[in-house]
Amino acid sequence: MQTPQTNDEAAAAVAFDTAMMGRRASGPLRTLIATLAMGLAFVAVGAQLVRLAIRGQGGMSVSINETVAQSFARPDIVDRNGRLLATDVEAYSLFADPQRVIDRDEVIEKLSAVFTDIDRTTLRRDLSDRNRRFVWLRRGLSPRVAQQVHNLGLPGLDFRRELRRAYPAGNIAGHTIGYVNIDNKGVAGIERYVDEVVGVDAVHTATIADRPPVRLSIDVGVQHAVEAELADAIERYKAKGAAALVMDVNTGELLASASLPTVDPARPGTSLDTAFADKISSGTFELGSVFKTLTVAMALDQQLVTPDTVIDVGREMKTGRFTIKDVHSTGRPLSVAEIFLRSSNVGSAKLALQAGPKRQQEFLQHMSLLEGIKTEAGPVPPPQVPKRWGEVETVTVSYGHGIAMAPLQFAGAVATLINGGRKVVPTLVKRNPGADDAQTAPQQQLISPATSAAMRTLMRGNVSGPVGTGKRANVPGYDVGGKTGTAELPGPGGYREKAVISSFIGAFPMEAPQYVVFVLLFEPKGTAETGGEILASRNAAPTMARVVSRIGPLLGILPKQSASADHVPGSSGQGNGSLALRSRLAFDAATVAKYETR
Amino acid sequence: MRIIILGALLATIASAFVLYSSNYDTRLLEEQVAKQERAIERARSDIAVLKAERAHLGRPARIEPLARALGLGPASERQLAPSVAAALDRASGSDTGSVPQNRGR
Repeated sequence: MQTPQTNDEAAAAVAFDTAMMGRRASGPLRTLIATLAMGLAFVAVGAQLVRLAIRGQGGMSVSINETVAQSFARPDIVDRNGRLLATDVEAYSLFADPQRVIDRDEVIEKLSAVFTDIDRTTLRRDLSDRNRRFVWLRRGLSPRVAQQVHNLGLPGLDFRRELRRAYPAGNIAGHTIGYVNIDNKGVAGIERYVDEVVGVDAVHTATIADRPPVRLSIDVGVQHAVEAELADAIERYKAKGAAALVMDVNTGELLASASLPTVDPARPGTSLDTAFADKISSGTFELGSVFKTLTVAMALDQQLVTPDTVIDVGREMKTGRFTIKDVHSTGRPLSVAEIFLRSSNVGSAKLALQAGPKRQQEFLQHMSLLEGIKTEAGPVPPPQVPKRWGEVETVTVSYGHGIAMAPLQFAGAVATLINGGRKVVPTLVKRNPGADDAQTAPQQQLISPATSAAMRTLMRGNVSGPVGTGKRANVPGYDVGGKTGTAELPGPGGYREKAVISSFIGAFPMEAPQYVVFVLLFEPKGTAETGGEILASRNAAPTMARVVSRIGPLLGILPKQSASADHVPGSSGQGNGSLALRSRLAFDAATVAKYETR
Repeated sequence: MRIIILGALLATIASAFVLYSSNYDTRLLEEQVAKQERAIERARSDIAVLKAERAHLGRPARIEPLARALGLGPASERQLAPSVAAALDRASGSDTGSVPQNRGR
C-alpha cells in the first residue's frame, strides 16, 4: 500500500532518476567540450611554437626621442698590391645625458683638464638643456683618453663605440683617397666614390663592414718614390710646388698621382687651402711646349707633313699683334723632327696654321681634350679653351698657351699618342682584365699606328739625341722618351716671365711604352745646378730621370742591357736578347725587383 | 574517460615542462650566440687595428729612412742582369756601380 509519504518518496525517486539521467546525458558533452578546449589550447601553443621557430621573436622596435648618431661602416681601401691605405677602426665617443648630470660645473672643470681645447660656453649650454637626453661631447677618442674620462667618475657621461676612419699609410696619395666626415661618410676623392658606387653600411655601433676592399690602381711603392723625388726636386730647384703622375699607357691606370704639398686624409681641413689643391686633377694649367706633341701628332696624322718635311722657321713670325719667336733659333729651316727636338714655337705655329683652326679644334675634340672628364675621385675641371678660335688662337694653342687643362687629361691624350693610337681613359681603380667589360672592349682608335710609331721615335730622339731638349731625362737602359715644357704663368696684365711651370711628359721604355710619366714643377728658381735657368730641360727633365730610375725596377721593367752597357763605364757589354729571352727577363724582373708583391 | 582526462593533464604538465625547458635552453643558446657574436666582433675589431698598425709600421715613409740607415737604397737598373753569367761577369769586373748607394737623405 502506498502512503502519501510513499508517493512523495516515489516522486523524489523519479526526480532523482531524472536528474541522474540528465547528468549522465551531459557528462560526455562536458568532457568533449573540455577535451576540445584543451586541444585548442595545445594547437595554439603548438602554432605559437611553430611561428617562433619559423619567424623568430621578431625585431625589437625601439623608439628614441633623441637623435642617435648614425655612422657608416666602410670597406677598406687598398693599393693594387693589397697594401692597406684606409680602414675602419673602433674608437670611443663621449656623450652626456644632461638629465643625469648632477653637477654641471664639476663636469666642465674635470673635462677641461682632459680636453684642454674644450669650448666651456658651448658645453655649459648643452648640459643646461635638461630636455635633452643625448649630447655629443667628443668623438673618436683613443682608448687611453677614454679611460682618463672614465676614471673621472662623472655621472651622466657615457661612451658609445663608433667606427673611425684610419689612414695607416699617412699622407701617401692623400689627394686621391679624399676624406670622410665625422660620421664616417665619404666627402671627397675615392672615399666619396666608395659611398656612391661601392656602397657602405649604415650602423649604430662599431660594426666593421663585411665588404671586399676597394682596390686602387695606385702602387704605394711607386707613389712614395714619386712623392719623395718631387720633395727632393722642390728643395733642389726651390719650387713652390710639384706634381707628377705615372699612368699605364694601355689601360689608363694611374700607378701614382702625387701633388706636393701633400694632404693628410685624416685632417680634411688642410686640403681646403688652395696651395694644397691637387694639381694633377683639380686644377687646369697652360702647359706650354709639352703641347707640341699634340701639334706634331696632328700634322703627321692628317698627313700634312712627314717627320722629314722641311719648314722655314728661320725668321720670327707675326700673327695679329703677336710676334712668335724661338728661344734658341738656328736661323735656318728645320725638319718637322727638328722642330720637335728643338721645341720650335715658330715651327709648331706653322704646322698648326697648315691644318687651320677648324681641323686643330676637331683634332683636339677627337682626342677628348675639349671637354671635361671624370675619374673615380670625381670630375676633372673642364679645359679652358679660347672663346674665339681664330688664327692667333691656333698659333698659341699649338705651343700650349691660350688653352688650359688638367695634367691628368693631357697625360691621357699623350698615352694615346704612343700606345698605338688607342683611346685611354684615366682610372684610379685597378682594372680587372677578363671581368671588366670596359677593359675587354676594344679601345677606340684615335690616331693611326704609324703616327703613334713616329711620335715614339720623336720622343725617344728628344731624350737620346744630342740636340733634344730632354736629354737630361735619359736613364741608361730604360729608353726614356718625352718632351719638355716651360710655360709662363699668367699674372696681372700678361704672363710672368720668371714664374713658370716646368714640365716633362715622357714614357718608357719607348720601344714598347708601358708607362707615361708627367712631371710638373711649379715656379722653380734658377740655381747653381741649373746654371741659373728655369727651363724644363734643366729641372723637370732631370727630375723625370730620377723618377724613372727609381720606379723602373719597382715596376719590374728590365733595363735594356746594351744601353746600360753603353752608359755604364766598366760594365761588360750585353747584347739585345731575343724576344723569348726578354719576356723571361721581364718575368724575372717582375718577381725579383718588386720589393712588395703582396 | 577519466583516464583520458588524467592523461591529458599529465601531457599538459609534461608539455609545460618540455616547453619551459626548451625556452631556457633557447635563452642559454641565445646568450651563447650573442657571446660568440660579441667575441667575433671584438676579434674583427682587433684584426682591423692590427692590420692598421701593421700598415702604419710598414709605410714607406718609415721604412725608407730605416733602410737607408742600413746602407740600402732603391733598386737600380744596374743591379739587374739578363743572366746569371752576366751578373757574375759584372760582379767580377771593376763595375762598382751595382753596389746600392746610400744617397744620405
